[in-house]
Amino acid sequence: MTDPRGVLQDVRQGMIPAHIYNDKEIFELEKERVFGRSWLFVGHESEVPEAGDYVVRRVLEDSFIISRDEHGEIRALFNMCLHRGMQVCRTEMGNASHFRCPYHGWSYRNDGRIVGLPFHKEAYGGEEGFRKKGQTLLPAPSLGIYNGLIFVSLDPDAEPLEDFLGDFKFYMDYYTKQSGDGIELRGPQRWRVKANWKIGAENFAGDMYHTPQTHTSVVEIGLFREPKAEKRKDGTTYWAGNGGGTTYKLPEGTLEDRLRYVGYPDEMIARMKEQWSQEQLDVVGKDGFMVSAASVFPNMSFVHNWPRVEEGSDEVLPFISIRQWQPISEDETEIVSWFAVDKNAPEEFKALSYKAYLMCFGSGGMFEQDDVENWVSLTSTAGGPMARRLLLNSRMGMLENGQNVVEPLTSEQYSGPGSTRIGYSEYNQRELLLRWADHLERPMEKAAQLQVGTSPAQGGSPDGTGHSPAERPGSSAVETVSVEA
Amino acid sequence: MLVESANERTSKTLSEQSVLGGHAPRTQRTGESLPFNDRLHLEAHRWLVDEAYLLDEQDYETWMSRIAEDVHYLMPVRVTTALGAGYSTSPGMAHLDENKYSLSRRVARFATEHAWTEDPPSRLRHYITNVRTFRTENADEIIVDSAVLLFRSRGDVREAATVSAGREDLLRRTAAGWELARRTILVDESVIRMQNLAIFL
Repeated sequence: MTDPRGVLQDVRQGMIPAHIYNDKEIFELEKERVFGRSWLFVGHESEVPEAGDYVVRRVLEDSFIISRDEHGEIRALFNMCLHRGMQVCRTEMGNASHFRCPYHGWSYRNDGRIVGLPFHKEAYGGEEGFRKKGQTLLPAPSLGIYNGLIFVSLDPDAEPLEDFLGDFKFYMDYYTKQSGDGIELRGPQRWRVKANWKIGAENFAGDMYHTPQTHTSVVEIGLFREPKAEKRKDGTTYWAGNGGGTTYKLPEGTLEDRLRYVGYPDEMIARMKEQWSQEQLDVVGKDGFMVSAASVFPNMSFVHNWPRVEEGSDEVLPFISIRQWQPISEDETEIVSWFAVDKNAPEEFKALSYKAYLMCFGSGGMFEQDDVENWVSLTSTAGGPMARRLLLNSRMGMLENGQNVVEPLTSEQYSGPGSTRIGYSEYNQRELLLRWADHLERPMEKAAQLQVGTSPAQGGSPDGTGHSPAERPGSSAVETVSVEA
Repeated sequence: MLVESANERTSKTLSEQSVLGGHAPRTQRTGESLPFNDRLHLEAHRWLVDEAYLLDEQDYETWMSRIAEDVHYLMPVRVTTALGAGYSTSPGMAHLDENKYSLSRRVARFATEHAWTEDPPSRLRHYITNVRTFRTENADEIIVDSAVLLFRSRGDVREAATVSAGREDLLRRTAAGWELARRTILVDESVIRMQNLAIFL
């Protein structure tokens, strides 16, 4: 039996009971208390550019239709028919004005409103028997969008997304706002690995220490320009708001020199200069750091790197990837990995950046191949009784008495928000697990239930008005059903 | 699902639609599949079986010597779409979208002493079946369809992983024998149930 209280005490000391990476009871608690109320990434607006476009994404076991309705608004609708609970949408993506349940033919507009209920009058006696008016597919309790990134939370009282992200937004902009129009997202690639979900999130948050060992081979084959992967220790780790990440140290030079060094063409650099704040520009141009991997609590990560993609050239090409570590069980994770690129980037840049992504990360990526091998092995070892006797030391960067090995950079040394240090440490992994421990400790409040057909649905809408879609002014109620138009 | 019918909304092949396939040879099949005793079919079948043994043994150096300079090696991401949607691959995204250079980097990596994911190596078995061959307009090029099932076992007790896919290959006759000039791999799963694609199909 797991003693959650003891586990959390240890974790808060930076000592990690190894079994948390493969423990059924811990996983049940995580499902309820971490994933039951955190902000979770589900997709990007560019995946559903036109009215009627949708993608289907999961929040653990729950399936949500992420759609753009006829008014252009983004919706996150629980994919369960209000009648008998069938999935109303059984595809992964498409364009539809309506979703029709294959069981009894109930149908819903792409904003969730029910429009077709066969034999409403004959079978239910009309509105008096079943209040069809105002019924919608259950919307995600909370929906938030930042730089086009769509998040949902199962907590109707979740703090606003931007408050949750806090100062991490400063760093998110490097990945997702290189020009006024932001990114377009392609993919995702999805694959399942027999590894616990926390390992990848921790790794991307702050593990610069693994690079020289795990990723030696990609340097040896000339994919990575940095002569020694151990160059990582000159970079920083930062933690800001509810996320943190790692950076590389750039060679001396101006802002432009440094952005060119990682492979950005001048026209993209010009747009970054228009888009980013002085402080955001200074982290690169003045302080000399470039963002690499990062994680937002609990299970979203980013990566930015700049490999060589063609033969006989010293040129490198930067790529950006966004991913989610979707928990399947205590020892299995579905990796959902997208390629992201600035919408206004030149077409040739987009193509080569995509090539850089495919070579490095994702289901076939050469960096990723070795990471996953390690994480599968770790997870498998963590499942047995001996792992319960081991408290893994995750205190790198801290002396026994709690003093720092390296102090954070001062505001003179560094222009970005949060707590930032040069060199190897595990501050970020600890930050992630501290939040994890806080959630596991805090019991859940009972969620409100909706009685279908007897009360109107309530739900979040991205405009923050709290109006359910049926209350939207100007909406009409007529319909010809055409699924997958 | 045939490679050529994976997207009915356009007459373009998957290789033509792919982001990085601009350099790829465009030769297409003509006519019906060849009889199984046709010499071209026998040569194609033998080539595929020999290749399967090379891939099982991870003899990637020899394998690369049978890959054309202008190769396009494509494995699109499959998605579940409605029957009438007209496409079943993710627009603009593949698992692998490779040219000779990127394939050569993958192979070079396995030859280092630090490609941990294949050290210790997987036990691999490529099962090749449903082979059929077509002539093209070029006497020295043929199209070969096949089905592949890869069985991959790592460690002693870990559950083995399998991948099932259909393939369409363009083989080209050279002085040194047949070379692979284009391969489109239509994997049969949307979510890959394998820890990575540190393998070739």
